[in-house]
Amino acid sequence: MIRGLRIDPTSATPIWSQIEDGLRRLVSSGALEAGAPVPSVRELARELRINPATVSKAYRHLARDGVLTVRRGDGTYVSDTPPEVPAAQRREALREAADAFAALAATLGASEQDTRRELERAWKAQQTTKKVTHE
Amino acid sequence: MSETPAPLCTAEQITVKYGKITACDAVTFGVEPGAVYALLGRNGAGKSSLVRCLLGQQKPKAGHATLFGKNAWKTRAKAMERTGVVPERPDAPPAMTAPQLAKFCSKLYRNWDHAGVAQRLERYAIPPKVPFGKLSRGQAQEVMLALALGHHPDLLILDDPTLGLDAVARKGLVEELIGELADRDTTVLLTTHDLAGFEGIATHVGILQVGQLVVNEDLEGLKGRFRRLRYRVVGECVDADPVGFDCGPVRVVGQDVEAVVTDFDEERFAAFGGEERIEDLEQESMSLEEIFIAVAGGERD
Repeated sequence: MIRGLRIDPTSATPIWSQIEDGLRRLVSSGALEAGAPVPSVRELARELRINPATVSKAYRHLARDGVLTVRRGDGTYVSDTPPEVPAAQRREALREAADAFAALAATLGASEQDTRRELERAWKAQQTTKKVTHE
Repeated sequence: MSETPAPLCTAEQITVKYGKITACDAVTFGVEPGAVYALLGRNGAGKSSLVRCLLGQQKPKAGHATLFGKNAWKTRAKAMERTGVVPERPDAPPAMTAPQLAKFCSKLYRNWDHAGVAQRLERYAIPPKVPFGKLSRGQAQEVMLALALGHHPDLLILDDPTLGLDAVARKGLVEELIGELADRDTTVLLTTHDLAGFEGIATHVGILQVGQLVVNEDLEGLKGRFRRLRYRVVGECVDADPVGFDCGPVRVVGQDVEAVVTDFDEERFAAFGGEERIEDLEQESMSLEEIFIAVAGGERD
């Protein structure tokens, strides 16, 4: 099983796209290390109770983009050198998320201190998940 | 775009009548290779009549069904070599045990997988000495599935396969289907009135509503166009409907409106939210079950 991969079958976002984005995120955050094995299509499909073709589609896209490597007869792995998210794209995504977070905090009337503290807590929680997965 | 591959099974304008009651009304759809087509409908919506026509067991009053490109009514025996069927009610001889049934069925097919069927029966823990008629509903269904897959069909048809199954048996059935899809990429047509477990594996959805096929499309497209909108209408406006959208059920409580739209679009959503009389507009994805209820839940059969 892949820790931290969450799928919402009721969402309008196609499941293959959720898996693709989820794995990209786990790889770029380091939660899934370079060279680490990922479950077979069949395993992940059974685990998530979804159509194997859906998993295949996500894996195909990730292999095409160099995030995953398929070793024939052996299995699928995170690439040894997965492509990094381009800096500009990363900055833009961060900014968008920060704007939304700040807007919500303002709507709720939260103080700057509380807002910062929540952000720090969330950041630390991320780092902990990463460490646990690495062990 | 590449050409769409020929469907393995089609309904062409199928109409079925029982006296004055129309069970199927000019139903047309196809199941493409590799698809998992979930045909949904409430009890009595016409699912079983349609399946009997597709299997060549019943001649429709008008229209026809095809299996592997040939008329299902005329070439039934030939088509069954490539089709596995799990009927709504397990119909094996009640006095025979599962191994006896497997042996009997093996003689009907050239490419019977003896080992595969035996493995399945063992995995399902089917008691080998108990006659079929004495098995539990779940076990009987598992035996039917093992037999239906015994000749490695290209097309698997399941008629309301979870009817009468408990949650554990149902989970097992869905897992078996996932394994079969992973191993052999089998094309599946299943009918059900109860979606639990099938939402994740269906690629296409048809909804039968009192004999009419009111939805027939791929699941991604269907989920993309259905949304639940919530908003508040302020001012003196009397019209609560979401302007610019085709809508299903609309519920109004005071100024608060909840509406299901069937042709969602981001741009029109933004425009609607910008209208002066509309406040707090939100949109929410809908599960297949919610879509089914919005489409088929409104009227009694």
